[in-house]
Amino acid sequence: MQEFVEFTLGGIAVGMIYAAIALSLVLVWRGTRVLNYSQGGMAMFTTYVAWVVIRDTGDYWLGFFAALAAGLALGAFLESTAVRPTMGKAPLNSVIVTIGLLILLEGAAGIIYGGQYRSFPAAFSIRGLKIGSFGLGISEADLFTAAAVLAAALALFLVFEYTSIGLRLRATAFSPGVSRLLGIRIGRVLTLGWALAGLFGALAGVLVTPSTFLYPNSMDAIFVLGFTAAVIGGLDSPVGAVIGGVLLGVLLSYAGGYLGSNLVLVYGLAALVLVLMIRPSGLFSGAATRRV
Amino acid sequence: MPDSAAALTVEGIVAGYGGVPVLNNVSVAARPGTITAVLGANGAGKTTLLRTISGLVKPRQGRILVDGANVARRPPENIARAGVAHVPEGQGVITELTVEENLRLGALSRRGGSVRSAALGDAYRRFPMLGERKKRPAGLLSGGERQILVIARALMSAPRVLLLDEPSLGLAPRMVTQVMDLVRGLRDDAGLTVLLVEQNARSALAIADCGIVLNLGKVVAADDAAVLAADVALRRHYLGF
Repeated sequence: MQEFVEFTLGGIAVGMIYAAIALSLVLVWRGTRVLNYSQGGMAMFTTYVAWVVIRDTGDYWLGFFAALAAGLALGAFLESTAVRPTMGKAPLNSVIVTIGLLILLEGAAGIIYGGQYRSFPAAFSIRGLKIGSFGLGISEADLFTAAAVLAAALALFLVFEYTSIGLRLRATAFSPGVSRLLGIRIGRVLTLGWALAGLFGALAGVLVTPSTFLYPNSMDAIFVLGFTAAVIGGLDSPVGAVIGGVLLGVLLSYAGGYLGSNLVLVYGLAALVLVLMIRPSGLFSGAATRRV
Repeated sequence: MPDSAAALTVEGIVAGYGGVPVLNNVSVAARPGTITAVLGANGAGKTTLLRTISGLVKPRQGRILVDGANVARRPPENIARAGVAHVPEGQGVITELTVEENLRLGALSRRGGSVRSAALGDAYRRFPMLGERKKRPAGLLSGGERQILVIARALMSAPRVLLLDEPSLGLAPRMVTQVMDLVRGLRDDAGLTVLLVEQNARSALAIADCGIVLNLGKVVAADDAAVLAADVALRRHYLGF
């Protein structure tokens, strides 16, 4: 019983990180029909920003928010410079550009910060919480992770549903041609979508890195699992991304806990293949067709 | 025929998709507060003319003046902001959004929350049917209701010029009459300038002030609507009634 509770809660905590990555992928996919393979690299790079700020100032929160700001800026910058020229071209162009960006970001991080593993602080204690003598399998840091991603996802939902910016984002995602005819400057809207994706990536990076160490490839595995979560949820659905992330986190936590933790990434890939075989549009996607 | 009094002037447009131009030296001027019918057979270039005016197709030559300012070769969103509202054929309702969200979208290019909500109030007053269905996904509307929604949405931007592409396409006869009455009302009550592309030449000429007839990308006739409707040879050759 104790094990089951530990695995479940621990899985939810990790799942929230997959959810953040999945949300960042969904934001870009909905707006531009681009699968952003550089998302993990962007998250890694902005985590280095946090690492430098924390190292130089000793203030965790300054670093935390610096990473989020850097995520916004990096997303907007990459969209407006590298990704924009691929719009309206063959889908493969954007695939190659975002893979190129990933290599560029990981290479640049290696040159600037070196390839060695750096430890990265957590916001709160990483000691497991207990009720009496009953271990819950999660820490204060895990609770913060879950709360931060949920809060960000909720804020995103409110912006999407209740603001004119959100209406622009949704309209551009559903029908860019009609949106342009209505005078919506979709270039700006797409830049904003990438900026928000950069923000969620940065959030995931800062939250997960205390348990992975920081190095130029540190987000690669997290990206694959975040992508799996997004596919489970249906790449179009922000709600699906969050649910997919938690679902995957819990499943992998059970698999790692009961079957052995060496193969967790393999289980994740197996889940990806399974979903693509059985329900390629994901569990929560409304759209029936998919281009990739 | 540069007409300084025109709300919309198209001068010597050459445009198309790739190699052969679809439009060859097309000119048309629409006076403020009039309906200009754009007629012709399938493939004459009617839709391409509207798409060129709204910027979806970039013209190779020619000028497009909206209130005297040349908007040719500008991106569609800028032309929309210059006061041209294009209602494309096949309607362009965003089915995933609610009726109200579709309407609000039309006013997003205007500044000021009060201006936008006033436009929404006007739309519901003019089209009570939309007010009754405002929380419903637009995908659940019937064809006729969708046509009214896209026209209402186009009006949300307070356009100078309205480009309507085949608004009667696929509608039941009763709905065709209703949509045509609506277009006529936009001119008579709101003083709107309308460029109306129609396959259904008879019902378009019945409400239009003047018209042009396109054939293979060229203007073969341009005159008052009554004159065009009375021209038996023209009707037989190009208009099919």
